[in-house]
Amino acid sequence: MRKVLSYACLATLIFIGWVTMAQAYDVAEVRDGATITGRVTFSGKPPEPLQFEVEKNLEVCGHQRSLEKVEALNGLLKGAVVILEGVESGKPFAKQDFQGKAPGKGTFQYVGGETLGLRVNTENCNFGPFTGVLTPDEAVRFGNKDSIKHVLHTFVALDTRGNVLRTLHNRDIQPDGSFDRVFDSGKLKDSRLIRMTCNRHDFMQNWLYVVKNPYFAISDEKGQFVIDNIPPGHYTLRAWHPVLGLQEQEVHVLPGKALGTDFAFSG
Amino acid sequence: MDSGREKLWFGFRTICMSVVSSAVIIGGSGLAVEAAILDGMMGGFEESMGKRAQEKGEQLVIGDFYPAESPDSHGPIGMMGDHTHNQGEFMFTYKYMRMFMEGNRDGTNNLSKADVLRDFFVAPTEMTTQMHMFGFMYGLNQTVTLTAMIPYVLKSMDHETRTGVKFTTKSSGFGDIRLGSLVRLYAFEAPSIGSHRFHFNAAVGLPTGDIKATGATPLGVTRLPYPMQLGSGTVDLFPGLTYSGGLGRATWGAQAIGTIRLGDNSQGYALGDEYEVSAYGAYRWADWISNSLRLKWKDWADYEGRDPNITRTNPAGVPLVPTALTGLRGGERLDLLVGVNILFPEVMGLENHLGIEGGVPIYQNLDGPQLESDYTFFVGWQIIN
Repeated sequence: MRKVLSYACLATLIFIGWVTMAQAYDVAEVRDGATITGRVTFSGKPPEPLQFEVEKNLEVCGHQRSLEKVEALNGLLKGAVVILEGVESGKPFAKQDFQGKAPGKGTFQYVGGETLGLRVNTENCNFGPFTGVLTPDEAVRFGNKDSIKHVLHTFVALDTRGNVLRTLHNRDIQPDGSFDRVFDSGKLKDSRLIRMTCNRHDFMQNWLYVVKNPYFAISDEKGQFVIDNIPPGHYTLRAWHPVLGLQEQEVHVLPGKALGTDFAFSG
Repeated sequence: MDSGREKLWFGFRTICMSVVSSAVIIGGSGLAVEAAILDGMMGGFEESMGKRAQEKGEQLVIGDFYPAESPDSHGPIGMMGDHTHNQGEFMFTYKYMRMFMEGNRDGTNNLSKADVLRDFFVAPTEMTTQMHMFGFMYGLNQTVTLTAMIPYVLKSMDHETRTGVKFTTKSSGFGDIRLGSLVRLYAFEAPSIGSHRFHFNAAVGLPTGDIKATGATPLGVTRLPYPMQLGSGTVDLFPGLTYSGGLGRATWGAQAIGTIRLGDNSQGYALGDEYEVSAYGAYRWADWISNSLRLKWKDWADYEGRDPNITRTNPAGVPLVPTALTGLRGGERLDLLVGVNILFPEVMGLENHLGIEGGVPIYQNLDGPQLESDYTFFVGWQIIN
């Protein structure tokens, strides 16, 4: 009986290891990589930016701040996260920097390489851009370049629209301080949406989408996105915006070819 | 006490001891507990609350224990362990407490000095207890807040003898140090239902207070009666549960805390077990000031055993003073307290809270003759990083 139990435990461990390994992304050479390019458009009138009277730390944050959740100019949407789902091996994560909207100087910095390496550099009461990405089970470094404390509060959305949120982390970031936080996949469960706020400064609000591979892009001010070096295959391409929701389409990328596709959101 | 009740009480004490020990061990060992204890265990409840919130177009937030920085983010200053802290956050508190007792009572009836002197050689007439409390709280991780409190106690009791001699006894020194953990249990909030937070209180009282205090009496320098001693002399457990809620400018809360004495102290007795329940409501008039109204029920048992060094009778064999008898220590009391909390502007990044609270008993039932309470007053300053 004891022997049977031992075998059962061993088998379980092997299975868990296999499942874990099977879900991990592997960096490998990509031959005849394909490219997906496109635009994210927005029709309708974007909501007015939220205006905030700053109540704390005016000397660092300023007296008034605004939060433009939907940044659309001439029908082109900035800040939509475009993700290619289902790629299990391929190019390494790219090194990228994204700046928060002025007057904040916070940045989301992706160090890249084998992993995403997200660094959230808080400056001028700003975590960084309104949208970004993170990978599960990898430490995200939160830094604070301000001379005041911020209270980082992250939530996972338990529904698709971010109406039901569960706290993941709630911790002070002291002036010039930093710490690492892991977004444990066990706690994320199937959710892919992370909300980030500062409990002391309510205009500091950001959203992160959980990605599992480096095949993602964030649309620029012209609504454009490019995902390159894709191993040929059949995938699901998603576009997500925290306010406008999620869209997806099936794509089939051919070796060495460029595929053009657009997403259209409306308000 | 009948055996059924005794068994029940023993079971309750055992459960409390286990829970408090576990909580203190969890807190003390620094385990990186990453979320509130009940997070993820309330699936059905969250689903229905989530649906309700979505129907109303609201956001439901689960597990957020962080109250906005406002005067009413803390309970009335007379409460202990009313709020938790975020990881890495610390709070230093200085709190002053003054309790004044005058006149004697047996049951719910007032007793005159003559009534007491009919049965005892000495009658206590009034007592003042002052306590300077130095507290420290630290957010160890996302679930556990560590707490420590060192009290400095000053006691003074006035007496009168059958022969009309008046005298005062005094004692002062450090009391029992209290170490503990606050363990976050569950929190949820939505705009229409407000915020609701629950945490568990677990603390251990260490017998650091003097239980051999002596003073000058008409019989010479003798060991002072029980209420003049500064500590319990036993290791004490303080298990409890705290709830706090808020909606708009209103906040409210409730707390139940027990006191369980483990064994007898070195002098052969144990103070009675206690429990107290508080319920309060507060209103924030402005971003910097709030008022509170609190009802506090306290029940405490008679002492068990006795200290042979505390004189019970005078040389003529007359019972000396009610405070020397362990069977005349129990009672129950309902206090009504009014408080004010003020949030000051930050200084060097530190949050400053001032709290004042005072109240009077509206009901007291004592195993007397025993001095009755007249008022309790608290003032405290809290600094948070």
